[in-house]
Amino acid sequence: MNQPVIVVEGLRKVYGDVVAVAGLDFEVEAGTILGLLGPNGAGKTTTIEILTTLRRADAGRATIAGFDVGRQPELVRRVIGLAGQAAAVDDRLTARENLDLFARLYKLPAPERRARVDELIERFDLGGFADRLVATYSGGQRRRLDVVAALIARPPAIFLDEPTTGLDPRSRLDLWREIRAMADEGAAVVLTTQYLEEADRLADDIVIIDRGEVVARGAAEELKKDLGRDVLVVHVSDPADLPRAAELAGDGADVATDAGHRMLTVQLGDGPPEALAVLRRLSDAGIPVEDFQLRRPTLDDVFLTHTEVRR
Amino acid sequence: MSAVDLPFEPPSGVRGALLDVWTMARRDLIRTMRQPEYLSFSVVMGVFFLVLFELVFGGVIAAGAGVDYDQYLVPGVLVITAITGALQTGNTLAVDLQYGADKRFRSLPMSRMAVLAGRTVADTIRNAVAVGLVAAVGYAFGFRFTSAGSAAAALALTVGIGYAFSWINAAIAAKVRSAELVGMLSMFWLFPLMFGSNLFTPTVAMPAWVKAFADNQPISVVATAVRALANGSDPGLSVVGSGAWIVGLLVVFVPLSVRLYRRA
Repeated sequence: MNQPVIVVEGLRKVYGDVVAVAGLDFEVEAGTILGLLGPNGAGKTTTIEILTTLRRADAGRATIAGFDVGRQPELVRRVIGLAGQAAAVDDRLTARENLDLFARLYKLPAPERRARVDELIERFDLGGFADRLVATYSGGQRRRLDVVAALIARPPAIFLDEPTTGLDPRSRLDLWREIRAMADEGAAVVLTTQYLEEADRLADDIVIIDRGEVVARGAAEELKKDLGRDVLVVHVSDPADLPRAAELAGDGADVATDAGHRMLTVQLGDGPPEALAVLRRLSDAGIPVEDFQLRRPTLDDVFLTHTEVRR
Repeated sequence: MSAVDLPFEPPSGVRGALLDVWTMARRDLIRTMRQPEYLSFSVVMGVFFLVLFELVFGGVIAAGAGVDYDQYLVPGVLVITAITGALQTGNTLAVDLQYGADKRFRSLPMSRMAVLAGRTVADTIRNAVAVGLVAAVGYAFGFRFTSAGSAAAALALTVGIGYAFSWINAAIAAKVRSAELVGMLSMFWLFPLMFGSNLFTPTVAMPAWVKAFADNQPISVVATAVRALANGSDPGLSVVGSGAWIVGLLVVFVPLSVRLYRRA
C-alpha cells in the first residue's frame, strides 16, 4: 500500500545532560498529517530541526523520501519544505518576491518558477496582498505566506513547527484549511503543536511527546478510546440522595460521588444507551436530577493523563 | 521507501553555488533599493568627512605638510566611505542570523556560503555606487585623477578593500549574531583604524610606534595607493601592498566566516 515518506527510527538528541529527544519512532505516509503534540520543551522543535538537517541526531536514523537526513543532507533538502517557528519571510520584499526567492534557491527552472509562484498565490488566496511589502502584513497574512513558501518546490515532505502559534482564531482556521490542502495534494506533513484542538482537527495520526519521550500515539479517535469510556455526570438536588443514586447507577467500581458538588460520575461501558438506563433508574426511584451531561473523553484528557502524571 | 526520482537535476557544484550567490545578492540589492538609507548612509558619511576636514583642518594641514589638501583628503575619504559601507554587511547579516530567516536558508538545497557571499557581493555593488558618488563630490571640491585608467584602478582598490572588510564584518556577525552587538563591536576596530591612519593627515608628526602602525595598516596603504594613482606619482609598494592586504584579509576572513556560520 502507501509507503511512508518520512521514517524515523530511534531518534535521540542530548544537549549536555538534558535529553531533548529520547528515542523517537514514527512514520508518515504521503497525503497524511502527523501531529507532534507536546508541552513547551517536549522536544518538538529539536525533532523538526533534525529532520530538516538543521541539527544532527546523536543516535537513530531518519529518512525522507528514501534519503538519510544524517548522511545525505543535500538530497534531503531537495525533498522537504520547512516553516519554522519564527516567520522566515523578508519584510522588505513582497509575497511574490519572497516566493520567487525560495523558488530560485530550490533552482526551479525559470518558466516553472513563475508559474508555480502564480499558482500558489492563486491557490492560497494571497492575491489581495501578493504585491505589497511583507512589512505591511498582519500576523496572520505573514504566517500564511511563510507556510505557503514551504510548498514552493512541491516537496513530498513538509515540516511545520507550531504554525498557528500566536494567530487569531480566524487566521488559524484559514491556515488549517491550507495545511489540510497540502496533505490533500499528496505531501506527508509533520506538524508540531501545543494545541490539542489543532491536532484533533488536522492530524491523521498523533504522537504525544513529553521530555523527549513518546507518551502516547495513535489516531485521535483511538487515543480517546484508549483513555477510557464515555462519562456520565449527574448533579442531584439533594446530596443525601447520592449513596442511593450510586447504588442504582452501577456496580461500584465505575461510579464515584462528590457530595460537595452533589455530583455523581459514572464511567459507561456502553455509552449513550447505558446513560439512558442509568437516568431512567434514577427517575423511577424518584431522585430529583438537576442536571446531567454525557462527556466523551477529550484529547485534553489524553494529554493531561499522559503528561501530568509524570510531573 | 526507495529514494524518489527527483523532479529535475539542479545545477550543482560551483555553478549551483554561484547561482545561489547571485540569488542572495539580488535579494539584498532589491532591499537596498527599497531602503536608500543604506546607500545614503555611507555617502553622507563620506561627504561629511570631506566637508569637515576640508573646511576645518584643510588650511592648517595644507600649510603644515605642504600638500594639496584636496588631492590628499579625497582618496582617504573614498576609502573611509568603502569601510563604513562594509559595516552594513555585519548589521544586516546579524539580523538574518538572529531571526528565523537563516533556519529556512539552512533547510534549502542551496550553498551554505551563499548566505554570506550574497550579502558581501550586494554590499560591494552598493559600495561601488557610494564610492563613485563621493568621488563625484570630491571632483566638485577640485579633486582630480590624472587619467581614466588610474581612476579605474584607484576605485577598484577602494571597492576591493571594502569587500575584504565586508568579510571581516561577516565573521563578526556570524560569531555574535546580534545586530546591536555587531554595531558596538565595530566601533572598537573602526576608530583606531580610521584615526590611526594617514587618511586625514600625514603621519609625520605621530610618535614612531603609532606611525609604524598608521603607515602600514590596510586602510592607509590603500589610501596611499589611491593618492599615487590620482596624482600620477610613484606609488612605491602601496599598490602591491593594497592588493596583498585585500587578498590576505580575504584568505583569512572568508574561511573564518564560513566556519563560524556553519558552527551554529
